[in-house]
Amino acid sequence: MMFPQFGATAESLSKASTAVFRIGTDAHLYDDPEDVNIAPLLDSKFDSEKCEALKRLLALIAQGFDVSNFFPQVVKNVASQSLEVKKLVYLYLLHYAEKRPNEVLLSINYFQKDLGDTNPLVRAWALRAMAGIRLHVIAPLALVAVQKCARDPSVYVRKCAANALPKLHDLRMEEHASAIEEIVGLLLNDHSPGVVGAAASAFTSVCPNNFSLIGRNYRRLCEILPDVEEWGQIILIGILLRYVIAKHGLVKESVMFSLSSKDVGNLEEDESHIASKEDSIYAIDKTVSELAKMIFQCYIEGPDEYLSRSSSTKMVAPKLDASQYTSCSNDVVKILLQSTSPLLWSNNSAVVLAAASVHWIMSSKEHIKRIVKPLLFVLRSSSASRYVVLCNIQVFAKAMPSLFAPHYQDFFICSSDSYQIKALKLNILSSIATDTSMSLIYKEFQDYIRDPNRRFAADTVAAIGLCAQRLPNTAALCLERLLTLVRQEFFCGEIRSLDGEEGVLIQAIISIKSIINIAPSSYEKVIIQLVRSLDKIKVPAARAMIIWMLGKYCSLGEIVPRMLITVLEYLAQCFTSEALEAKLQILNTTAKILLCIKGEDILTVRKIWSYVIELAECDLNYDIRDRSRFLKKVLSSNLECHHGEEANSESEKINSGETKALRVPSEPIDYRFYLPGSLSQLVFHAAPGYEPLPKPCSLPYTDLDRYDGAAKSDSDEEDTDTSGPLDEESASDYSSEQSITASGNISGSDESVSGNEAEDNADPLIQISDTGNVCENQNVGATSGTEAFQDLMSTKSLESWLDEPTKSSKQSEIEQSRVRRSSARITIGNIGSRVKPKCYTLLDPANGNGLKVNYSFSSDTSTISSHLVCLEVLFENCSLEPMVDIVLIDEDYSKSSDSTDQISSPTENTLKFHVDKPALVSMEEIPSLEPGQTANRMLLVRFHHHLLPLKLALFCNDKKFTVKLKPDIGYFVKPLAIGIEDFRDKESHLPGMFEYVRSCTFTDHILEVNKGSNSLTEDKFLVICETLALKMLSNANLSLVSVDMPVATNLDDASGLCLRFSCEILSNSMPCLITVTVEGKCCDPLIVSVKVNCEETIFGLNFLNRVVNFLVEPSVTHL
Amino acid sequence: MLQCIFLLSDAGEVMLEKQLSGHLVDRSICAWFWEQAVSLGDSFKQQPVISSHTHYIFQVFRDGITFLGCTQIEMPPLMAIEFLCRVADVLNDYFGTLNEDIIKDNFVIVYELLDEMIDNGFPLTTEPSSLREIIYPPNVVNKALSIVTGSNSNVSDTLPRATASCIPWRTSEPKYSNNEVYVELVEEMDAIINRDGGLLKCEIYGEVQVNSRISGFPDLTLSFTNPSVLDDVRFHPCVRFRPWESHQILSFVPPDGQFKLMSYRVRELKSTPIYVKPQLISDGGTCHLSVLVGIRNDPGKTIDSVTVQFQLPPFILSADLTSNHGTVNILAKKTCIWSIGQIPKDKAPSMSGLLVVETGLERLHVFPSFQVGFRIMGVALSGLQIDKLDLKNEPGRFYKGFRALTRAGQFDVRS
Repeated sequence: MMFPQFGATAESLSKASTAVFRIGTDAHLYDDPEDVNIAPLLDSKFDSEKCEALKRLLALIAQGFDVSNFFPQVVKNVASQSLEVKKLVYLYLLHYAEKRPNEVLLSINYFQKDLGDTNPLVRAWALRAMAGIRLHVIAPLALVAVQKCARDPSVYVRKCAANALPKLHDLRMEEHASAIEEIVGLLLNDHSPGVVGAAASAFTSVCPNNFSLIGRNYRRLCEILPDVEEWGQIILIGILLRYVIAKHGLVKESVMFSLSSKDVGNLEEDESHIASKEDSIYAIDKTVSELAKMIFQCYIEGPDEYLSRSSSTKMVAPKLDASQYTSCSNDVVKILLQSTSPLLWSNNSAVVLAAASVHWIMSSKEHIKRIVKPLLFVLRSSSASRYVVLCNIQVFAKAMPSLFAPHYQDFFICSSDSYQIKALKLNILSSIATDTSMSLIYKEFQDYIRDPNRRFAADTVAAIGLCAQRLPNTAALCLERLLTLVRQEFFCGEIRSLDGEEGVLIQAIISIKSIINIAPSSYEKVIIQLVRSLDKIKVPAARAMIIWMLGKYCSLGEIVPRMLITVLEYLAQCFTSEALEAKLQILNTTAKILLCIKGEDILTVRKIWSYVIELAECDLNYDIRDRSRFLKKVLSSNLECHHGEEANSESEKINSGETKALRVPSEPIDYRFYLPGSLSQLVFHAAPGYEPLPKPCSLPYTDLDRYDGAAKSDSDEEDTDTSGPLDEESASDYSSEQSITASGNISGSDESVSGNEAEDNADPLIQISDTGNVCENQNVGATSGTEAFQDLMSTKSLESWLDEPTKSSKQSEIEQSRVRRSSARITIGNIGSRVKPKCYTLLDPANGNGLKVNYSFSSDTSTISSHLVCLEVLFENCSLEPMVDIVLIDEDYSKSSDSTDQISSPTENTLKFHVDKPALVSMEEIPSLEPGQTANRMLLVRFHHHLLPLKLALFCNDKKFTVKLKPDIGYFVKPLAIGIEDFRDKESHLPGMFEYVRSCTFTDHILEVNKGSNSLTEDKFLVICETLALKMLSNANLSLVSVDMPVATNLDDASGLCLRFSCEILSNSMPCLITVTVEGKCCDPLIVSVKVNCEETIFGLNFLNRVVNFLVEPSVTHL
Repeated sequence: MLQCIFLLSDAGEVMLEKQLSGHLVDRSICAWFWEQAVSLGDSFKQQPVISSHTHYIFQVFRDGITFLGCTQIEMPPLMAIEFLCRVADVLNDYFGTLNEDIIKDNFVIVYELLDEMIDNGFPLTTEPSSLREIIYPPNVVNKALSIVTGSNSNVSDTLPRATASCIPWRTSEPKYSNNEVYVELVEEMDAIINRDGGLLKCEIYGEVQVNSRISGFPDLTLSFTNPSVLDDVRFHPCVRFRPWESHQILSFVPPDGQFKLMSYRVRELKSTPIYVKPQLISDGGTCHLSVLVGIRNDPGKTIDSVTVQFQLPPFILSADLTSNHGTVNILAKKTCIWSIGQIPKDKAPSMSGLLVVETGLERLHVFPSFQVGFRIMGVALSGLQIDKLDLKNEPGRFYKGFRALTRAGQFDVRS
């Protein structure tokens, strides 16, 4: 059995013989870990007793108990000589290290001692434990240890050193980043394959874009690849692929290029359809190549680019020019393909898939076939991996059906497959079927329809429809089968009693409908057959669809128009007994027929029409009553004037409208694809940390690191050139010679900063002063920080322990960064008065009997409670009668608060309020509102969650309206007036996991810039600053801290422009810092990278998303 | 990279948690997982990759134990799945079988193994032979010792030499008085026979299993007389790629003991050794079922352990089945299994009986597939033949043994 059920136990045998087997195991420790007093055992003299105590603690950990209170006693045992005790202590220690940082420090000395042990196992374990503790305090010590172990004679220890690097990197020690990367480079250069594998893994988590490290060793890494351990292979393959693309670009001969750049004229060359040039086939080929294009574009394009592209009106994709392509005769590409192809024989399916992905992207079209067999072979491994591989094959097959077309038999379904796997196989089959293979596949489908799993049977029916649409030659055959199925299904008795049977029938009719839609005129008989079966088919949805088809094709061919009257009479007769959907379709169809019918029948049809309308008007369902009134109104005018043309156009409209409403999405393609073999590809969204392929040729070509890299290429040059995700760190380093700064504060809407008031000063004020000091101070801080740790260990012993000093290199770097940083700081005047908060509609006059209620978030903050958000609500009477007693209340706060209690998980307690409080501070009632009059009210609202809307009740004239108040996370904060130094200080305390960055495209400024294009270039920058600041301040309650402008760079280049905002979260007064950095040319859309530093991770992330969303959103003109 | 591994019993109890990174994963995620598994049933349990609100979860189910791996960031999903499978394999290898009690009884070893196998979410030592030298598997001597002395250590004091060499699968110099190598071809036949009795697909999935007990560092070569029948292959890491690419020769330094040297696939076989002909005639609220089994192509050896298994369709109320040979059992979840054993020479085994269809249904419209099981000792049905096995570097005498076995894999007969 592939899937033994969860319920099935293997206990039968084991339980009986438990008594025998359990003797001598640790069973009693797991069952009753606390049946003896653990504490004294830990202090015992005997290792065996210590062991037992530690095992008991481990059992408690395994069972989810918190036993951190034993920490001090356990730590003492780290000195034990017994390796088993050591191992157990380490296991315990690492589990609780973060909880008990102070006690952990007691153990550091022992680790240090163990690091000098002669036994490599002891050294490795000590290193693993030390790095695994993850405390900032000891991070520098751990780094020194790793540096030492990276040169250890034992392979195992070096491997552990490589694994320790990501642990150190997690601590975000910016000042040591280069040292860590250096070790990564060292270990990548190791001669032992085992170490290289681990180093590759470290590379991806520490410095995935530092390709200079790869460039140096590229050829050697390729050669060593087959000997690297399987897990390392998976990672290393990915790194090499990224490097080649970044360095040399994509391959001209690859599928990726040929499919995505194929223009319409070349289509005939495509494999299987050379002979037939029918329109539909042509269309299908076109969609395939479009899909392929989409897929490959997604590989290169990050989620942010995708979002900004889809949100902007023009869907023009960035074109890759020919210079970004290389040929597969390129040595570098050749080596990559050569070294990965034997890996297709790997026993590890993850390696096979990783190697196949490289070939998929880089291999030439002729050679790509070699990935097919290995991928299909992997399908024979565990069901979990089978699922993953099938998901990937599905995408390959969609982009290039010819690849898998000959192997259709491998996708035939086995009875042991799970439903997910069956569905995937079916999907693949329907996308690779060809005219020749279709007859066999089709026979196979017929077997599937008889499968006991009816959901799967329904999927099969849908797949038949898809195949028929893809391969018009087989449509007739498919259609026939579907029709027999429809006939069969209703023969099998009372269909409603069977679950799933309905689904099969409905799916069959949907498929028939979509096939007819391709060429309606040739399927007239099918329509007649379907209509004839109406009195036997009982499923409402199926009936509704058949009736709809009658209306849609009522004027088709010869026979259909002749049978219309009879059918209509029949439908009118059974109208009352129909279900809702069928009734609606009877109404529509009758209307359509009425419009297009000619000759003497028209009178009969009218009679039927009025009969049906009469019935419908007194139907119990309001939808039907509405529809009947609507149709009656529309048609009555038309029928009276007898304008044939007009009537036709009207019917046309109804027709087309219905098509939209009823059309079944032929195939749900979500137009987002991720790299093959990635997690994102399986879960259909970009998982955190997902990186698309690097931009082709984004690495500059330097002779120095020409894949052997004899000389050590200067990493500095590379560093500045690496683009992409590193930007967030290097954004402030935009270089220039002078160091100019202006101090100045820009007040937001709240005028929180006094001192530098610039109310009427329309011209911005540029003050120039020196920021050099600030930077210097920072650097001094950093170095003093490292000195602080050096105090922990005497410098001498440290240096003697470590072979070479690394200080000098660090020093020079600091100096460099000091030179680079420069910008001018400016002040933007009177921006506060120009801030216009966005207005939302709470109640539309159409829904509120003429009462219009709008609201906007106010920048004021409540004095009553910090949890309250201020809103300005504007009531307007748009009706002709006066209104009285208008009030907005939270009717069911008790109920809603209960539900939030359930919803909010412990991690989401950011804005979880005391649930026993109402969501609204009672509003002052508006006694009366005359027509045309408006009234303003301030509202204090307690949102339960920063994303979920709040349901409120609005009373007016004693009538109740339910309204929804949508929160805006931008106003869950209040401005925090701080200076730039404060800002920097706070920012430095919120590194690593408290920092989130996203980028987006900003276009608002273009209009403004173009408007004043004659003025000085200086102004362009200001316009950008202003629009950006205005946009930020209008959408969130922030305080503008500083605006930094790049100085002496290209006049048209806005890169380096940097705005800083600050605020604090209302509920807990935690600061939240926003840095907006601009890149791009003044007159083009700018790439804006937004960075949020905030201790509340979830709030910070949501806040960042909100900021990015409103920045992308085109602005309502505030000109 | 993985952040945490949980082992769940088949009652949903968290037996073990092993945190792998600084971002601790709360075990409440297991409660969430189990709730979903209970409420959504099979369709959830068969999903290998799940995205919850906070984590991505990979699940592998083995012998009643659910292995969960959690991560929050992008990582190759197959890597996680393969790793969890490897953990299950290693545990199975250590304890002989795998079940809830065994995990609980040996939880210390499981912890030590996990700690050795994965470091910071990235696999560290996964070679079974190296692991066995760092953490000793439980054995009778150890157990007895622990009863007598009350103490035993299953943690090695020294690092296995293999971790330092470039062949991590080979343990440090084993010594045998009799050098011997056994090579076994284990083949599984996958076949689909459609409703009309046509053979849609028939292929062999085979493994070359080697049990090597040779002293020192032997360098072996294995060649086949007819390697051309192989459609595709996958190798143990010890196999060198070059000799295979050029001459289709397997050249390798074997791990010590039992291991899977390669797996292969042979496609498009022309016939199956036995035939199974099911027939269902349904009318008037009942359904007459008969299944005939017999030898189609005599492989020359006895075919034994023949079974036919199928799932009764959901609309069947009762079934009364009898056979002229072997026994028929109806198990839980309407699974019906007919154990035939050896096919007798004198008669063709058959099973027949009446199925009663749910009231209101005239006839059956869904039909089960029959899964066939069999075993043939001494034959590799793919026709693959081992040519010779040579020991290159150590010219000493050694004993070679060859065996073959074919059994049914996914052998489906549709009705």
